[in-house]
Amino acid sequence: MSTLRIPHRRLLMAGALAAGLLAGPALAADTVTIGIPVGLSGANSVVAPSVVQSAELAVEEINAKGGILGKKVVLEVADDASGAAGAQKAFDSLIFQKKVDVLISMETSAARNAGLPIVNRGKVPYIYTSFYEGRSCSPFMYVNAWVPDQQVAPIVDFFKKEGAKTYFLIGSDYAFGRGMLAFTKDYIEKTGGKIVGDEYAPMDATDWTAILSKVKAANPDAIITSTAGGAPNVTLTKQLRAAGIKALYGNLAVDEGTAKSMGADAEGIYISGSYFTNIDTPANKAFLAAMETKFGKDLKTPNDLSVPEYEAVYAYKAAVEKAGTTAADKVIPALAEVAVEGPRGTIVMNKQRHAPLTMYLGQVKADGSVAIMSSFKDVDPGDQCPKLK
Amino acid sequence: MTEARRLSLILAAALLALAAIFAGPTVLDTYSVNVLTRSLLYAAVALTVDLLWGYLGILTFGQSVFFACGAYAAGLVFTHMDFTPGNAALALALGIGAALFTAAIVGWLAFWHGASALYASVITLVLPIVATQLLYSGGTFTGSSSGLSGFTSFDLSTEAWFWLAGSFLVAMTTLAYIVVQSDAGRLLVAVRENEQRCKYLGLNTSRLKIRVYLACAVIGAVAGYIYAAYAMVVAPELAGFVFGTELVIWTALGGRGTLLGPVFGALIVDYESAQLSGNFPFVWQLIIGTVFVLVIVAFPRGLLPMLFDLPRRLLGLLRPRAAVARPARVALATLDAAQTQGAEVGNGPALAVTGVARRFGSLTVLDGIDFKARAGELVSLVGPNGAGKTTLMRCIADGAERSAGTIIVNGHDIGRRPPEACVALGVGRKFQMANVFETLTVAECLQIARARHSRPSLWRRAQRLPLPEAAMHVIATTGLDRQLSTPAHLLSHGLKQALELSMVLALEPRVLLLDEPTAGLTKTERMQIGAILIDLAKKQGLCVLLVEHDLDFVREISSRVIVLHQGRIVLDGSVEEVVASELVKQVYAGSGHAGIAHETAPKTGGQEVPA
Amino acid sequence: MIAQTLDIVTTAAILYAVATGLLLVFGVMKIINFAHGGLMTLGGYAALVTTQAGWNPWLAIPVAALFGGVAGMAIERFVVRPLYARPLDAILATWGLSIIIGQVITIAFGRGVQFTQAPLSGTLDLFGESYSAYRLALVGIAAALGLALTALLQGTRLGLETRAVIMNEDLARGLGINSALVRFLTFTLGAALAGVAGALITPLSSVDPNMGVPWLVNAFMLVLVSGASLLSLLAACLVLGGAQVLVATHFSPVLGGLTIAVLAAVILRIRPKGFARD
Repeated sequence: MSTLRIPHRRLLMAGALAAGLLAGPALAADTVTIGIPVGLSGANSVVAPSVVQSAELAVEEINAKGGILGKKVVLEVADDASGAAGAQKAFDSLIFQKKVDVLISMETSAARNAGLPIVNRGKVPYIYTSFYEGRSCSPFMYVNAWVPDQQVAPIVDFFKKEGAKTYFLIGSDYAFGRGMLAFTKDYIEKTGGKIVGDEYAPMDATDWTAILSKVKAANPDAIITSTAGGAPNVTLTKQLRAAGIKALYGNLAVDEGTAKSMGADAEGIYISGSYFTNIDTPANKAFLAAMETKFGKDLKTPNDLSVPEYEAVYAYKAAVEKAGTTAADKVIPALAEVAVEGPRGTIVMNKQRHAPLTMYLGQVKADGSVAIMSSFKDVDPGDQCPKLK
Repeated sequence: MTEARRLSLILAAALLALAAIFAGPTVLDTYSVNVLTRSLLYAAVALTVDLLWGYLGILTFGQSVFFACGAYAAGLVFTHMDFTPGNAALALALGIGAALFTAAIVGWLAFWHGASALYASVITLVLPIVATQLLYSGGTFTGSSSGLSGFTSFDLSTEAWFWLAGSFLVAMTTLAYIVVQSDAGRLLVAVRENEQRCKYLGLNTSRLKIRVYLACAVIGAVAGYIYAAYAMVVAPELAGFVFGTELVIWTALGGRGTLLGPVFGALIVDYESAQLSGNFPFVWQLIIGTVFVLVIVAFPRGLLPMLFDLPRRLLGLLRPRAAVARPARVALATLDAAQTQGAEVGNGPALAVTGVARRFGSLTVLDGIDFKARAGELVSLVGPNGAGKTTLMRCIADGAERSAGTIIVNGHDIGRRPPEACVALGVGRKFQMANVFETLTVAECLQIARARHSRPSLWRRAQRLPLPEAAMHVIATTGLDRQLSTPAHLLSHGLKQALELSMVLALEPRVLLLDEPTAGLTKTERMQIGAILIDLAKKQGLCVLLVEHDLDFVREISSRVIVLHQGRIVLDGSVEEVVASELVKQVYAGSGHAGIAHETAPKTGGQEVPA
Repeated sequence: MIAQTLDIVTTAAILYAVATGLLLVFGVMKIINFAHGGLMTLGGYAALVTTQAGWNPWLAIPVAALFGGVAGMAIERFVVRPLYARPLDAILATWGLSIIIGQVITIAFGRGVQFTQAPLSGTLDLFGESYSAYRLALVGIAAALGLALTALLQGTRLGLETRAVIMNEDLARGLGINSALVRFLTFTLGAALAGVAGALITPLSSVDPNMGVPWLVNAFMLVLVSGASLLSLLAACLVLGGAQVLVATHFSPVLGGLTIAVLAAVILRIRPKGFARD
């Protein structure tokens, strides 16, 4: 079986398209290559462009100031198709073909899990920049986004203050949905609230009729949802509003952009996160201005998934400079020690490969903007990877 | 080419492929080795899609589930228990067991007697959807949407995994190739071509389908097991509908029914998508979709056969070749009378029909049919169109057909038995339109007809085909023995009828049901068939039931005539009685049929058109 | 109790609206149109274009029918017609088409989730229960669709010819019916109905390139258990849709999502005719 020859013959058939791609990257010792496996297609494709833009700005800024250790920084983006099979191809390509020095990316949990064994084989540092359900550990991986332990408290504490005693939880039946709500449930019960319902729908479900009927029957003071992003989240919100349910509504999975596009239905939703465009700090203002200048009308609104990408590039720069080399065994310990001053504040990934973060509680207003209600400084990620330092 | 030479050529090709696999990592970069290791395993699953769809005709969207069975067995055992050699073996056994269990359920749902191909396809479509949902709701046990990762597995180098995956693929492809080329493998094509004929040749096609499906499930599970052990990750998408349809797309593009086509289709498309999809994520999908539709509509055989045909066609343009008749691969022989295995002659009449009725909703097609026929009797069934003749034949050959009454063949009640079980009791049915396997050769058609008696080999091709004397007689009389390697669809109408008759006779039936065996034949052919039938009844002691419009023919050969009209027997007697009957004349006249008087008039023969 | 009855009735109505187009195509052409989901998506985007243009949201229905119908004509002519003798290949080709439709929409409109303006919002009080007004309106729309189709099939010459082709195509052709034209018109109508279904579900759902896909399998199963009758489809929608609501409410929505497919598969195994009469 000539597994070797056939693909190449086929490539010739594919013509110029493939020929251009075969050229491969220029690998030179005078560059630092950052690999970004990200879901350009599939579920994450809505947010992926904003992630890539964040990385591009960071790289441009760094190169303008002389690069990392005097070397020019180059980006390599690969599509992971938002899933495991695509991630394997993307990670293989970046690590073994493009020979990147580091992977920095926002991905689905399935894609991250599929990539980790390849990272172990290739032994490159990996900074994961997406909020996720928590407790994913690898000696090569750092995480600079939030986990349930950090995100849930602001919303529940606020609802409690508003007088909510009974809660109804709705989620999509997947790792993030289950992980978030399991933590939420524990936290509500620990702080004296009562769960009157706890329902999951299939991950791609867009029909919430049965669950909403149960919500109406249970008549809770507050609803907290954690669904898959995109359609399930949006349909739940629309159908919840159409059913005339008026309870306090905390949504753990909606991002600012989606909330904005949902129009009137989104008004009044409480959301919690580590980044909103309204954060009133000089660092954030400077970041937004730079993004605006660089991308103009093509700008994808920065969000809680894209800003950590920007900061992670700086974290890697700082770690390499501290280690004095791009060698993985030196950079990896350094990543736990360096602090980055970014749009979300000062971030150090020193808690079992995760980072304490300043969390914000926001409410969607009638015009779609998010008003920041309160902030919680340096919320601890809790025990994520006790076996790792 | 001798059998030994043929098999050694296949093995030599397999060894070459293995050598290529072992050389692979020395010439490929690490990246390609990694990507191709997975593609090799996917290709093994695509192979099973081809076996099921390309050969057996079952379009399946759910092979991904069996891959996931093996993968998740490994993932679950290695995550929740420790990785030890014992547990590794346990995981493999669990994976195969789960795949077999799932396949058995699907088989029960999809491959029962009478299930349509569409229904079977839809069941295989529901399978991955149910499986994915179950994996999602497994919480931390299955890892839900994130899958399972970070488990320990066999400590092998990247190269070793490539070799393992490659050797597995080569082994499975070689095995599949040998099987589909064998006598048993030809049954798969026969089922795809004409499942009905297979059933009426006494073959339990449902069981055959389920067995192939189970075997394919095992191949899928082993591939999945290797995948999980290598990739050290399992995710629900492995079981998903998208992966399931991707397998079908690779198979269609490569060329269904070629084995190598789907294997290369999987390897090339999966490898290329790793290269190209990163740069053109949506356009790549669009290209694949467009090429897929184009291939299905315009080149249903797929791209590999086209590639192989191209040089042949170019050569053909330069040097037109005369069609060379293929030499017969199989030698016919007369089965030793001592080895005949037809159903034993029971006591009493060969065929006893009592109170048989057939109703479709409120429409009654047959009612109160009672008659008996002895061995050695040649009974003609006549009557105008719509009298229920063919329906009666169908009721005798398939226990599920009639609405009421009993049918006893050779002393055995057929009960509700399906056609293949009725064949086992001694029923042989020849259809009205010649019903043979169009793409198979004459010899192959006859071999399939004998498959019930002599279990076909899974790896060899028989060189000798012993047939019962009656079948040999038909073949020799009609000259079919000179056309053994001709594909059935190239035969003349008369020879097709003769072929089908010989196939039915190869079953060694005791009761022979013939639905207008002479329709559309020339006078000479008809006389030949007539003589054969008389011979069968007289010498072989068969009970022959014949539906016939040509009363000349009927008068010449039958010993008895039954007249059906509007679903009832109106007359049962000798040829003379029937010809003389006023009632019968009325029946034919009233139905607007040409009339029995006319039909009984002497004819020059040969030019009449069957009714 | 009242809420649950309303859930069942409205769910059945939505399923009915989604499945009629598929049923029509299945009845006449004996193929399952895998592009149905893609055509629904097309209808959804037609609704999006309509409301973005500032037109009355109700206009989305005819616009979606137009989008679906035109696409259906092209599909029938260039893809389905050559595959008449190969029904399993027709399934695959229409599946390929749905990939193409999905990717073209993605390239044109982006992968993101978008929204249409609902023609009706808020709730209605019915039997002491406040219930989503749009879901209630869908019951009326589905009933109107069913009645209009029945009138078309029973009351017009084309309908008569279509029924003849459904019963026995060879015979119908022998009687001088242009069955190729009947097939063409049926597929066009089926595709238009898919577009309408897509537009109808947009106010409940979002508009994204995969919006039609989750509906596809349930619609298949409903059609398979219904044979080729609009009446048995209604029965199937009520029984299986009802079972889905009950399972989702009393056991789990995850099982509820599988109810229609699994139940239909088992029904067909036990009674191959499903809900169709003899």
